[in-house]
Amino acid sequence: MTKTNTSERLLDVKGLTIEIETRNGPATIVDGIDLHVNKGETLGVVGESGCGKSLTMLSLMRLLPNKIRVTKGTAHFAGRDLQTMSNSELRKVRGGEVGFVFQDPMTSLNPVMRIGQQLAEPLIYHRGMNKAQARKRAGELLKLVGIPGAEDRLDAYPHELSGGMRQRVMIAIGLACNPQLLIADEPTTALDVTIQAQIVDLVKELRDRLGMSIVWITHDLALIAGLVDRVAVLYAGTVVEDAPVDDLFARPAHPYTQGLLASIPKLSDERASRLSSIGGTPPEPGRRPKGCPFAPRCPLAEAICHDKVPVLESLVSAGAHRVACFVAQRKLEAA
Amino acid sequence: MGAQPLMRIENLVKHFHVRLGAFGERAATVHALDDITFDILDGETLSLVGESGCGKSTTGFTLLNLHKATHGKVIYQGKNIVELDEKAMRPYRRQLQIVFQDPYSTLNPRMTIGEAVGEPILFHKLATKAELKDGIATLLADVGLPPRFASRYPHELSGGQRQRVAIARALACQPKFIVCDEAISALDVSVQAQIINLLLDLQQKYGLTYLFIAHDLAVVRHISDRVGVMYLGRLAELTSREELFDNPLHPYTKALLSAVPEADPAHERSRKRQVLQGDVPSPLSPPSGCRFHTRCPVAMDVCSKVVPEWREALPGHHVACHAVTEGISGTGGLPG
Amino acid sequence: MTVVPMATTDIKEEPPVSLWRDAWFRLRRNRLAVFGLGVVVLLAFTALFGPYLTPFDFLSQNLDARNMPPSLTHLFGTDDLGRDVFSRVIFGTRTAFLVAIVVTAIAVVIGVTLGALAGFFGGWLDRVVMWLTDMTMSIPNLLLVVVINASLKSPISSWMESRYLATLNPFYRETIWVDFLLVFGSMALISWPPYARLVRAQVLSIRSRPYITAAQALGLTNRIILMRYVVPNALGPLIVAVSAGLGTAMVLESAFSFLGVGVNPPTPSWGNMISDGLRVWQHYPHLLAAPAAVLGLASVAFSFLGDGLNDALNPRGAK
Repeated sequence: MTKTNTSERLLDVKGLTIEIETRNGPATIVDGIDLHVNKGETLGVVGESGCGKSLTMLSLMRLLPNKIRVTKGTAHFAGRDLQTMSNSELRKVRGGEVGFVFQDPMTSLNPVMRIGQQLAEPLIYHRGMNKAQARKRAGELLKLVGIPGAEDRLDAYPHELSGGMRQRVMIAIGLACNPQLLIADEPTTALDVTIQAQIVDLVKELRDRLGMSIVWITHDLALIAGLVDRVAVLYAGTVVEDAPVDDLFARPAHPYTQGLLASIPKLSDERASRLSSIGGTPPEPGRRPKGCPFAPRCPLAEAICHDKVPVLESLVSAGAHRVACFVAQRKLEAA
Repeated sequence: MGAQPLMRIENLVKHFHVRLGAFGERAATVHALDDITFDILDGETLSLVGESGCGKSTTGFTLLNLHKATHGKVIYQGKNIVELDEKAMRPYRRQLQIVFQDPYSTLNPRMTIGEAVGEPILFHKLATKAELKDGIATLLADVGLPPRFASRYPHELSGGQRQRVAIARALACQPKFIVCDEAISALDVSVQAQIINLLLDLQQKYGLTYLFIAHDLAVVRHISDRVGVMYLGRLAELTSREELFDNPLHPYTKALLSAVPEADPAHERSRKRQVLQGDVPSPLSPPSGCRFHTRCPVAMDVCSKVVPEWREALPGHHVACHAVTEGISGTGGLPG
Repeated sequence: MTVVPMATTDIKEEPPVSLWRDAWFRLRRNRLAVFGLGVVVLLAFTALFGPYLTPFDFLSQNLDARNMPPSLTHLFGTDDLGRDVFSRVIFGTRTAFLVAIVVTAIAVVIGVTLGALAGFFGGWLDRVVMWLTDMTMSIPNLLLVVVINASLKSPISSWMESRYLATLNPFYRETIWVDFLLVFGSMALISWPPYARLVRAQVLSIRSRPYITAAQALGLTNRIILMRYVVPNALGPLIVAVSAGLGTAMVLESAFSFLGVGVNPPTPSWGNMISDGLRVWQHYPHLLAAPAAVLGLASVAFSFLGDGLNDALNPRGAK
């Protein structure tokens, strides 16, 4: 087990299960996810589309779309149960103690509201500031996220800003109330690579300055390599591997993580050499295989993998490195 | 590899005319593509990279005559194909194919996979009706799909499978040249690798030439013979992939390469990025002179006034930059 | 060379499902829509075979059995002339369907043609068509029908009568055609704009879809692209609109007949039956209730069916 004291855990999700109602009855999208974020830690949550990474985060704030709901599991923030919390209490957490940054800054900002107002809103609501104070603080926030001419930009509408600038505004809104935790859901996916680099550097710098915890959701392993402390790899709605970042890149234990890392083209590759790839596609919700969800695509799968679901367990050699794979666990025991 | 040019693009220009304002009262010109000149060699993979709005997709569309070129030439088999009308273009359409970015919307949702793949075969009379079924099965096998997929509809397939169908459809025309317009960008990492492998296999098997349009430099580095870097409608640099990644000359190329993350935590943490300031200016009113001068770390006076010449700075290494030109002639030696 | 085959696990074993079949499955699961469809089919059947089903002729009067309450012989009772109300309602169904289908068919043909041309070719054609659409939409339909009734109906009727007297051709005696053609023809001529707008919007949005560009890149001709790519994809919303349009046209027919500017007695229409029944409803409520109930049922059925089709054909837009 990890030696981390539970009280140090800012966010602690256990056995979270999310189902969607379909024509053919409920289908599991998220299947017993275990995740935690320690104080001051940056966690990368990595997975392909449909693996449930975004829904998990939305479910914490009870922001799930219709027909999708949490059926099992617990979620605690700073020791408080997020699921039994009253709505008014939850609203204080949302946008107050936990800030959000979404993927698409164009659709996540209100197009008919000046960005100054959008920044001031959480400050007035959560911090009880008056309008003048909120506006002043909004200007500071824009400066904080590196928007040139910050004060003049307060009266701009979202469409007057570029994509990168809008994402900075989103981050400013996320940070408005000095949150203890910032959840960033694919915040750079819609951006160009040079702008992406700007945003990653900005978040790094802000974290070091403000000391908050971060959950960074992404599909791009390379992107978070230099940013996060720990990585949780999701596949088909379960955490298959959870490890300190250096460990994960140096010694990936789960065949899915290995496949994912191997399919990223590397500098040392010869031109046009075959990339190692994972055959097949992830299972759709409602079509989950029995046993390990990765077994049908797994090159190492054995009989037991098709039959039983592996549990996320610490590898004996390294306490913080946990993996849900029969083969990997046995290999390490043998060694 | 044949070093013969398959296609020669000369001073290609594409401007879009748009109307702005709430009532469309203001006419404006989008300078999507300005004065692009390069060759595509037979059998090579040439990649175009750059950020959104740089004109890389417009290049693909314009040289296939899917967008009417404003000016310039695209010479293919001795003919300037961009001045052909749709009817005269038809025989060339068969040879020049394209695979699009979003596999979810490039297939007609009302047609089965077999119909979609069979349509170009029949249309271009590449097989008789009797041979059609076998032809479809062969094409599906080529892209790694079992023949029974022929009776499926696009919405029953995953993104990767659909992209395989789109590739099969392009192959059905027995083309010489395929534009891959962000063909793998919408796919998940693990599926991306499958499709890249597929494209490489097909190139070997059929001797295809690719124009590979992408923004993922890691992928581009992996599959390209040569790489062109575009910025705001102009080519900044074009050379072999080794030259480009080992010895980039243009300051924009350098910045672009430095922004690409590597899957190596220690390297990433210690790495000092050369982060570009600011955003890409609007193609509605591109900066004068060198379009990169507003963000360029080594911009000089001349850069804002004179458009840098597109020249072969080193053998096989084209670049458009005053600083590079000066560096070479000034020191007499070569930079880098 | 080797191609890595797709893992076999993700190949589904069920038969292929086209979007149309898929929509049909979804429609079948929607109870209200199935109810609507059932009622519509029943009414259509009645309209087609009504004359062979009715126990009485809708015109034959039986002055001994006037204003009879519903009974086994006269399911809906009889009216003030002793005519069987059930038979008249069934004939009213035929009138309603005839009008609805004629009006909708004309409107759809005009609307789809104009809309598709405007959407596909754009430019000045688009501007002219849209201007025409806006103009037409600003004409109030009730007013138009009243004006036509007042100005054109009697001169045409008297002209036909004179032709009849001159030629003795029985065609000229059928003044019912004047009702239908004049009133509902004019109705059709002003109800096409919604179809034109819908189809234009559809074509515009489909024309910008990547699969159209993909088809152009294959070198396919405009005709093939229009027939195999644009039309099948524009059909869904049109079907929904037609279903709703049929219901609206039926209600409109009844409304005009109720006001005396639509189908004229003795041809039975739910509208003129309601109008007749309204005068005596305190004494003989069945004379009002029977046609009103059937009209209500038909209207609700078309509306349920339209909603159901909408959800079935646009699963993502629903709810």
